[in-house]
Amino acid sequence: MDVELASDANLVVAVGRWHERALAEVYRRHGGAVHALARRILRSDPPAEEITQEVFLDLWNHPEKFDAQRGTLRSFLLARTHGKSVDYVRSEMSRRKREEKTSRETATAGYDIDREVWDMAVAEQVQEALGALPDELRQPIELAYFGGHTYREVAEMLQEPEGTVKSRIRSGLSRLRVNLAERGVQPAGAEQ
Amino acid sequence: MSENLSVPEHREIQELLGVYALDAVDPETAAMVQRHLAECVKCSIEVSQHHEVAGLLANSGGESPAGLWDGIASQIDGSVPPSWERLAARLEPAAGRSDRTVPGGDDADTGTVANVVPITRGRRNRWVLRGVSLVAAAAIVVALVLGTQVHHLNNQVSALQANPLLSAAEQSALQQPSTKQVELTSKTSSTPGKVTVVLTSSGTGFVEIDQLRALPSDKTYQLWGVIGGRTISLGLLGSDPTVVPFSVAGDGSVQAFAITAEHAGGVVQSQNQPVVAGEVTA
Repeated sequence: MDVELASDANLVVAVGRWHERALAEVYRRHGGAVHALARRILRSDPPAEEITQEVFLDLWNHPEKFDAQRGTLRSFLLARTHGKSVDYVRSEMSRRKREEKTSRETATAGYDIDREVWDMAVAEQVQEALGALPDELRQPIELAYFGGHTYREVAEMLQEPEGTVKSRIRSGLSRLRVNLAERGVQPAGAEQ
Repeated sequence: MSENLSVPEHREIQELLGVYALDAVDPETAAMVQRHLAECVKCSIEVSQHHEVAGLLANSGGESPAGLWDGIASQIDGSVPPSWERLAARLEPAAGRSDRTVPGGDDADTGTVANVVPITRGRRNRWVLRGVSLVAAAAIVVALVLGTQVHHLNNQVSALQANPLLSAAEQSALQQPSTKQVELTSKTSSTPGKVTVVLTSSGTGFVEIDQLRALPSDKTYQLWGVIGGRTISLGLLGSDPTVVPFSVAGDGSVQAFAITAEHAGGVVQSQNQPVVAGEVTA
């Protein structure tokens, strides 16, 4: 198998058979996105690198957790990355460090992160789709996803009832999916 | 919808799917949603869709950090399941052995034999789930090596089946006193099937398919085994198999075998009844 030509699903099969080259190819394809998301949420390189490594080691040890019928490999890896990053952010110690760091580095980190996160072919369409959402749907999604906040925290920040925030996030994601489809944007990491 | 939840409870959890997909819930709520997802396909699909959208928001075209790969590579265990090595060695011609490789090698997928059947993960054996009695169960719940495209797999299987060394290896296995032979039969008269499994004490084996109707190209047969009360996948067999080798970790103490028909890529959890099944007798 030429790993560079293999589909993501076939690469995961090869990972299941302990092919290190297949994992290396998965990393080559998706490592940048995984690292960028971790870095955006954590706002710091060392823990972002640690989580990036954990995500790929998890795929190596538990490839069966990826179900190709349920979505793309990239969305799977990013979901794992997000979960690990949020867990990190929510630990008391990391939260304190993050808050201290945020106050010092917001300006420079903001440029770097934006450049990394949005530097892709579909970034413009994604931004347009996100921008097309009403503020009351967009804001809670951004606060929850990129801020790593729980919906209860988001409700407090926006001074809205928890149930309202919960519904708006769900509605916002559904509408965003429709908006993206209308712009011809395929799911992340679509099979090659 | 989950059978254990009332409609109002189901709706309550549905409302949580968006925030759950964004990890914006506390651990207790996440655990509650996860329990529901394990039983509710509709909600499971919705969460997957939310993950896809979130993945697009997070997406980046940036290059993967080169330095990080070294850290990952240094932590992975690239060893090869010993039972697979034994099977590969048995099937290889002596003169060509140095040209062949096995999973984990530098060029594993160029080898005909090493390419054929996804196998269990040897000593680590992470594919297992708490078992459901295979023969008695109406549906098998299994953990499965993720499938590959059936076209690709069929090519591999055909290449193996054309290998005369396989037949020689099978005959050799049959001559060993400790080798077990298991007949797998259909439980329904409407789907006749005759399959024989040959299993050596070392954990290597062969599946001989005499009477199984060929599946459409978008389907594949899958082999399952019950080991220590747990059901595990032993590999994809292709849509029209005849003789296929497989490998079982450890001492090969399989209690029962079954074959199901699945979609081409294989399934993580099968709800299908076995096409054929049989228990291993002492």
